[in-house]
Amino acid sequence: MPLVKVNGIAVEVPPGTNMIEAAKKVGVEIPHYCYHPHLSVAGNCRMCLVDVEAGGRGPDIACNMAATEGLAIRTDTPKVTQMRKSVMEFLLVNHPLDCPICDQSGECRLQDYYMEYGQHDSRLADAKMGKGKRQDIGDQIVLDAERCVQCSRCVRFSDEVTGTGELRLFNRSNQTQIGIFPGVRLSHQYQGNLADICPVGALTLKDFRFKKRVWWLKESESVCGGCATGCNTLVHHQDNEVYRFTPRRNDEVNKSWICDQGRLSYKDVTSLKRLTGAKVNGQRAELPEAANAAAMLLKGAKVGVVFGAKATTEANWAAVKLVRARLPSARAYVIEGNDPDAFTYQDEILVDSDKTPNRFGAALTASQLGSVGDAEALKAALAAGEIDALLVLQDDVIGRLGIAAPKALVYVGTFKNATATAAAVVLPAAHSIEQAGTWINRQGRVQRLRKTVAPAGDSVADYSAVDAIGRAFGGAVIPEMPAAIFQELAAGVKALNGLTLKGLGHGGQLITLSAPSAGADQPGQAAPAK
Amino acid sequence: MKPGVYEIPLGTPMMDLLNKWCGGLRPGRKLKAIIPGGSSVPVMTPAEVEQANMDYESINKVAGSYLGSGGFIVMDDTTDMVDALTNLLRFYAHESCGQCTPCREGSAWMYNILCRLRDGLATEDDLVALRDLADNIHSRTICFFGASAAMPVQSFVTKFRDEFVARVESARAGLPAGLAVAK
Repeated sequence: MPLVKVNGIAVEVPPGTNMIEAAKKVGVEIPHYCYHPHLSVAGNCRMCLVDVEAGGRGPDIACNMAATEGLAIRTDTPKVTQMRKSVMEFLLVNHPLDCPICDQSGECRLQDYYMEYGQHDSRLADAKMGKGKRQDIGDQIVLDAERCVQCSRCVRFSDEVTGTGELRLFNRSNQTQIGIFPGVRLSHQYQGNLADICPVGALTLKDFRFKKRVWWLKESESVCGGCATGCNTLVHHQDNEVYRFTPRRNDEVNKSWICDQGRLSYKDVTSLKRLTGAKVNGQRAELPEAANAAAMLLKGAKVGVVFGAKATTEANWAAVKLVRARLPSARAYVIEGNDPDAFTYQDEILVDSDKTPNRFGAALTASQLGSVGDAEALKAALAAGEIDALLVLQDDVIGRLGIAAPKALVYVGTFKNATATAAAVVLPAAHSIEQAGTWINRQGRVQRLRKTVAPAGDSVADYSAVDAIGRAFGGAVIPEMPAAIFQELAAGVKALNGLTLKGLGHGGQLITLSAPSAGADQPGQAAPAK
Repeated sequence: MKPGVYEIPLGTPMMDLLNKWCGGLRPGRKLKAIIPGGSSVPVMTPAEVEQANMDYESINKVAGSYLGSGGFIVMDDTTDMVDALTNLLRFYAHESCGQCTPCREGSAWMYNILCRLRDGLATEDDLVALRDLADNIHSRTICFFGASAAMPVQSFVTKFRDEFVARVESARAGLPAGLAVAK
């Protein structure tokens, strides 16, 4: 691996690494607009100009400078400072400076870099170029061509990632402006990413426009639960209210992208479809009361446990523990397929056809009980009277299979559905951003959920809901703290041996793909992130 | 007097090209400046022209300029250097492809300043900015077009500084464009 130097600090990087990334490794930030790690290099913003000490001719742009043995750059010279200042000046010549009404304010590269590298007095005496503002170019995106710095990230995104190619830079000279081809409208499922990658306020997300100043928002890491891909996300929230999801970089899963469906799924958190209170026979009840009722129903019955591909691995593990401790004759089921109201879109970029975030985890935990039945087995067992009670985790079994609900139906779930309606006992589970836990995505990657906002209403973490039933039976089945549950889970499930919650880190941990078979549906087909 | 296409050996004195081959200036005119290589290379003063030969090294050594495309632009004493530079920059500001920042924004900005200078609306600050902008574009762009726009500006405002300063002074004195302050 070539040894390069950044400001005199030596660092070894893989051959071909560009110098922005190499500098990042030694903690040197090289400002840039047009460079994006998941797009091709355009080299047109000129913000990353650095001095070349050895191994090349300088000044040159760091984004297009591949690491070769002996290459040495400096970013701390007066010349570099001056170059950055001058690029900032050029970029602001035709910028409208409408920060007070711009949604990018607070996360705008022009603002950030001006404070850090610009700080020049204006010497502009001429009128600014007027360009089109507030252009409605797609279902999710509004374009303001005046704010654009012509970095071409969005053009490259639509050419290289979605392959739709709707956007271009039109005209030339200082009349260059970003635009969409006549008669074309953005209609793909990844529009929100355009607003993310736009370093300035030219492309903004309709859903977020004028909603919130970003500096009030706290960011917490999470994982999208919209499909089996498990895109890493950031939850932006303030005062217990969620304002948006944005993708969080994970090169192995979703790179820097997320689909619009996943991005806008933050609305589910406060959706009227949430189950916010426990219910017994349709009547509101306190959680312990409902858990008691659930225990009464399940005790002595011929129980079937439907493991939840939308529940956390911890909740599924709690169900395993509950069965082992209190319901030794229970049968385990994992039901393939999606909810009837699930989004049917899928593609080769991110969106999986499986709309559950944790089918791998459900199958893995269920298999700890021995054989795992599928939908047909469940139907047959119910029809034959081999089971007469169901404990269902986050799965609309009744709606999906169109079966008659047994009298003793206990549902642990986040959203209202046919199963919740038919259930004798409903225990409300928190949304995935309201509780800790883990999901295992289609690659077999164990990813961590964190509690970012308080659970809605009376809902509790899904594993706590299962545990509440255990307590009603006479004793907790899992530890209380998420880390302790995971520790037990990792010790108890072979594929997870050796993992710790903390050890999952920001990007999750891949586990071996010798996943146990769960009925007909085999999870864990490693699908490379596109 | 005789514009045309000439093939001459490298090293021919520049004055020979001008006077012998091309027939010299129009009667009664004096040489003011020559741009030896298209329009994008640094301009040469008469003093520099007298010392220079038509080869790469000599032109570069004497005037810091280049043979470039070999397009030879001769300006006599009737040429207003501010107008000439404004004319050149109109071309560069229009032709910039707009891809990279310094050239896209800078060439048009320099043209705007020159227009104000030409029209008697510029100040000393503009003159400073003009030179600065050219320096900020030169060799910081993707292609050489940025430098091509910058080099005429850098050389004109350095080598013919008096004319540019005179425009600023006349502007300050409130004189109509083209009239100079009496010395």
